Amino acid sequence: MSVAVSVEHLTKKYKLYEDKWGPIKEVVSRKKLHKEFLALKDFSLDFPKGEAIGVLGKNGSGKSTLLKIITGIADPTSGKVSVNGSLVFLDVSSGIDAELTGYENIFMKGILLGYTKDEMLEKVDDIIEFSELGEFINQPVKNYSAGMKAKLGFAISVNVDPDILIVDEALAVGDSMFRAKCMNKMNQFKEQGKTIIFVSHDPNAVESFCSKAAWIHQGELITYGDSKLVGSIYNDFMAGRRTIEAIKSELQFIHAIEQVSATMTENGYSVQVGGYLYGKNETEAKSFELLLRDKRTGEYRSIPLSPAPYEGSSSLPESVKKHAGFSATVTENQLAGLLKPGSFVFSVRYRNEENQWTEFPLRSGAFTKMDSDSQEQTSGRFLYKMQVAASQLNLVVDNHDKVQQQVNKMWFEGNLLHVEGVAFIRGYETKTASDVSVSLHLVNMETFEQKTYPASMNETEEITENQAFNPQGKNYNYSQFNAVIDLSKLEPGQYESKLTYVMKNDPYHEFLILVWASKGKEYPSETKIIGDREIEIKTGSKYLKLEVRNHGYEEQ
Amino acid sequence: MFDVYKELWTRRRMVHTLSLHEMKREYAGTLLGFAWGLVNPLMRIAVFWFVFSIGARAGRPVDGAPFFAWLAIGMVAWFMLNDGFRSSNKSFRSKRSLIKNTPFPIAVLPAVQILYNYYMHLILLVVMLVVMAFTVDSFSAYWLQILYYDFAALMLLLGLGSVTAPLVAISKDFGRFLDTVLVFLFWMTPIFWSIDNLGKYAAIIKLNPFHYIVQGYRDSVFFKVGFWEQPLYTLYFWVVVFLLLILGNYLYKRMKPIFLDIL
Repeated sequence: MSVAVSVEHLTKKYKLYEDKWGPIKEVVSRKKLHKEFLALKDFSLDFPKGEAIGVLGKNGSGKSTLLKIITGIADPTSGKVSVNGSLVFLDVSSGIDAELTGYENIFMKGILLGYTKDEMLEKVDDIIEFSELGEFINQPVKNYSAGMKAKLGFAISVNVDPDILIVDEALAVGDSMFRAKCMNKMNQFKEQGKTIIFVSHDPNAVESFCSKAAWIHQGELITYGDSKLVGSIYNDFMAGRRTIEAIKSELQFIHAIEQVSATMTENGYSVQVGGYLYGKNETEAKSFELLLRDKRTGEYRSIPLSPAPYEGSSSLPESVKKHAGFSATVTENQLAGLLKPGSFVFSVRYRNEENQWTEFPLRSGAFTKMDSDSQEQTSGRFLYKMQVAASQLNLVVDNHDKVQQQVNKMWFEGNLLHVEGVAFIRGYETKTASDVSVSLHLVNMETFEQKTYPASMNETEEITENQAFNPQGKNYNYSQFNAVIDLSKLEPGQYESKLTYVMKNDPYHEFLILVWASKGKEYPSETKIIGDREIEIKTGSKYLKLEVRNHGYEEQ
Repeated sequence: MFDVYKELWTRRRMVHTLSLHEMKREYAGTLLGFAWGLVNPLMRIAVFWFVFSIGARAGRPVDGAPFFAWLAIGMVAWFMLNDGFRSSNKSFRSKRSLIKNTPFPIAVLPAVQILYNYYMHLILLVVMLVVMAFTVDSFSAYWLQILYYDFAALMLLLGLGSVTAPLVAISKDFGRFLDTVLVFLFWMTPIFWSIDNLGKYAAIIKLNPFHYIVQGYRDSVFFKVGFWEQPLYTLYFWVVVFLLLILGNYLYKRMKPIFLDIL
């Protein structure tokens, strides 16, 4: 693999003075009076020839500094840069002089890039045509719109035919037609074996256009590799799903789930995953735990993962093969109530040097093999689906059908909270009270402890007589539920409420759903005080939640 | 020791084209264009002539040369030195946006400014000399010597520009300081007054290398004196230029990483 641009151990230090006399005082007094800001920290990377390489990073991450050093606009404090071939730096305004006309600017920029006037005369027609500026080309650039300036800059940069093109967010302006044209031109570039370095804070643009990507954060190279993978990690970070520490620790490990198989057993849903997992810099096997975590609530169960010899087909280093493999089976019963409708992710965790748990999702992708049975299981209590999304393996659990439900009324009576509502499933008739049973649950959001309150089913015509709900004229007479919650026994905490709906007749399905409560006016809005506790009903999210606090304690 | 100047030489075409662009840029959007480059200095010469010969009644011929012609040639030389020095020492600062966004050999920038001003100067000089040829009776082969003094002036400006441009790029105060020094030099260089008036202190004024050029112009046009007829002064001038060039090369190398960051 030949290298277009290579940077080794780049460090860029800026000196920040608080006092404008600082630099002079420093020389005179020989004391250090500045703060140092490291825009790049020991940054090394080879940009391979003939590829489009994305450089991702948020504003101020050091990506522009890196570009400036590569292009020679800035000098590094230490480190080495070598560039093989001619290089053009494309950024919206670079080298464009507002006083001169577009035509003169073409020559101006060409000359700055080291071309002679004659060489530019040959290219000038192509440039004008590409820029789509037409007769505006003889107008001073100060009269151009931002989009026109970008078009001119881009037209010049790509038509001077450099070996390496560096693009800095320049495509953000310009209309979509022109953007498509630029993308086309850059794709042609790639085919000609030229190198493009594409800088952006938008992972989608990088993923769609680049084959490789590097991510810079606070002047450090976090990772470099396949653009889709880097883009997804970057996305996780930018969306706040994972911290930079977690990502860094994950990147010390090389891991993948290579095969998944799921079956229905007497212990409920059972899934077996296998693959490899080893540390980049470690020879010893670490002890890991496999985790299945509810993405919404954060509830999880873990089982120890024992290292095994790796027997798969991936080419791993010989030194790690004897402990890099893993294979683990988890069953629904073993997970003790974790599996309920929701989305779950397969992760691993280990204890780091400070003895704190560090967790990261296991990598999954097109290489993860799954048969069709494993992808979807419909015979258990719920529907179970395995999905690979954003390089992670997810287990999605769903109810067999949709339960229509709503809390109509709530009221306090002594220490009790009465909840009255309706629940039914389209197509499942409830002619008698014994056709269905419903119970209400309160789940503590921190401990995930669950309290269950059986509900009584009562007759109502609310659903049966409602044309909107019941166009086919079925019988849903027993669709009203009444449940009573004894508030005096609730420990302080946040609770969400769920509802179990059990069909007593064929097909005998059981459903578990969050309780919907959108009739805010029908619910008590005041805080209930019982002894030293105060209880608040929260339905702001349209789901029924309770908060129990110690009385007098002000929530912040 | 002369890396910067070697680079200038290899990129001489670039310097030339950029300086032409600079001219276009300067007068872009004006209807009269380069004519403004002529009107302004002619006006200044006229004003000074009025003030000194009518106002101050100091308009006696100098060593046989008519005062107005003598003043005009001196000022033509001075304009080149003044404008070339002013714009070259600010060259990094004034092209800041270009330096920050475009990779190109920025070492050419002071030379571009000097050459641009020299081209403007040439227009003025030619106009002046044509007028003089008809009005002054000292027309001779010595006029060709102006080419030598132009070369000397360019080298002096290159040296001064190389030394001051990196320093001005680092310190705005230094730029202000140089502007002040230029005003001082304008009056201290014998442009409106003859150096003969100074008597024994003339030697001190002669240390100012600008004077070598201004005097050289006048020697060529009016007094038929060759530069070889004052070998010591010529030697002194070139030693100064040589030292400035060495210092300029050193300062550029030393200061470039610093001013790239703080510009």
